[in-house]
Amino acid sequence: MLWYRSWLETRWRFLIGLAVLMCAAAGIVLLWPKVVELLPVASNLQVSGRIGKQIRESVELQREYPSYIWSQWFGKNLTNMGTMFAALLGTGGLLSQRSGGLFMLSLPVSRKRLIWTQAATGLAELFVLVLVPSLLIPLLSPAVGKSYGWGDVLVHSACFFVVVAVFFSLASLLSTIFSDVWRPLLLAIAVASAMWYLELFALPRPHYGIFRVMSAETWFRNGQLPWQGLLASAAASAAMLYGAAVSIIRRDF
Amino acid sequence: MTEPPIVETTELRKSYGALEALRGLNLRVPAGSIYGFLGRNGAGKTTTLKILLGMVRPTGGNARVFGLDADAPETSVAIRRRTGFVSEDKDLFDTMTVEEIVRFTAAFYPRWRSDLEQRYLRKFELPAEKKVKDLSRGMRTKVALLLALSRGADLLILDEPTSGLDPAIVEEVLQAIVAHVASEEMTVFFSSHQIAEVDQIADRVTIIDGGRGVVEGAIEDLRENYRRIHLVFDGEAPKTAFRAPGIVRTRRKGRTLSVLLSAGTERVIEEARALNPVSVDVIPVTLKEIFLETVTKED
Repeated sequence: MLWYRSWLETRWRFLIGLAVLMCAAAGIVLLWPKVVELLPVASNLQVSGRIGKQIRESVELQREYPSYIWSQWFGKNLTNMGTMFAALLGTGGLLSQRSGGLFMLSLPVSRKRLIWTQAATGLAELFVLVLVPSLLIPLLSPAVGKSYGWGDVLVHSACFFVVVAVFFSLASLLSTIFSDVWRPLLLAIAVASAMWYLELFALPRPHYGIFRVMSAETWFRNGQLPWQGLLASAAASAAMLYGAAVSIIRRDF
Repeated sequence: MTEPPIVETTELRKSYGALEALRGLNLRVPAGSIYGFLGRNGAGKTTTLKILLGMVRPTGGNARVFGLDADAPETSVAIRRRTGFVSEDKDLFDTMTVEEIVRFTAAFYPRWRSDLEQRYLRKFELPAEKKVKDLSRGMRTKVALLLALSRGADLLILDEPTSGLDPAIVEEVLQAIVAHVASEEMTVFFSSHQIAEVDQIADRVTIIDGGRGVVEGAIEDLRENYRRIHLVFDGEAPKTAFRAPGIVRTRRKGRTLSVLLSAGTERVIEEARALNPVSVDVIPVTLKEIFLETVTKED
């Protein structure tokens, strides 16, 4: 029943996220022929500097279907929207619950169980949110005369989930500090944006950035899983969820 | 051998920063009683109830329910398994229908009483398909009460159960509580600032003020023992301090001296006569008078 309650609390965020991401995934596949048409124009772009280099790299990635999918879906759309929906799913909980908070606390359930159920429900939803739209890609690829490996989808989705869970956990932790849904959401997105900016423009060795691990770039480029990044992300998520549980257990309501 | 109390607090303290909500509260709620917890807004009633349910952690002293420590997470769950609770705001899941919230709640209680659930659904005429958010405050209170009463609980904790309700629904709710206690073996501990409803249904009461219990006892005993002695003098009433025990408050106004006492009427009358008053009247007092005299500040 606690699962059911957690589901009721997050279902609209989850369902909206799922619909948006599925549309985005389908759109990326179906736009491939248009991208092929535009490639000659994009190749003539003359931009200098670090941004220019990144644009040229990005254009190069669009030449092949697998690299196009990786860069557009796992590297951009899913990263941006997935991070936002992860933060959105992580918000809420006992503190910001508009109704039923005291009622929930009056039930014979420990706070530890409440928060773990909520976290587990959110993480399960996040996993579905990452996996199901990604599975649309190999499913729809024949429609544009291409194919994309199911195995690649599973590896990229798994890596993505492990890393994006960091932002879910951050929002969960912030939700035990602030009593509304907006501050945890905005702060988590602000942290993600700051990390993205650092990774793109300021980090001396961007290959180690969190978003590179999230898109499993090493798997795409040379078939190696970013184990260190994955383990560090999982540890960060676990620490933040533990912090959220401790915060809720100690709090007066 | 006396039965152990269902609820017991010893020197219970709770501070929110500099604010002391409870300052050494001692309570003993006997099994089978309807126990009123009377106090002004902000006196510490809700904080006490929340401590008993493990929602708030005390900063000192201890609270036990069914002999179990209310502050320990494991025993707190065991306490809540045997306790029904209605919060002051009648806080429920707004997006659920009445039927859904009943099913949801029932799943947590192995001793859930479907017979009582059906009885109260009918008695309160609750619309099963209607969402909680669309219910009136009175209906919400009835749903909250149904959920608390059907748990097969040994203790019912009610925080201002009738606040914001019209007199007809107040009466209906109070009657339902009394009838339930009469048919089921249980203890009710309810907070209120409505003296009339405490007087109507409680058999024992604690009056709390400023985080401390200031009056405690069976309502019958309070009625029996508390008296007001009204003295009228020829001229200005004398400034005097009575030595007899049991004096709660002395008020002096012009030619009159009014003494509220909790015990020892005869001794106070003896002392009073020595002051040569024109008249001495001994008047029984109501719970309302006791409450007002104990929680309002001296002029």
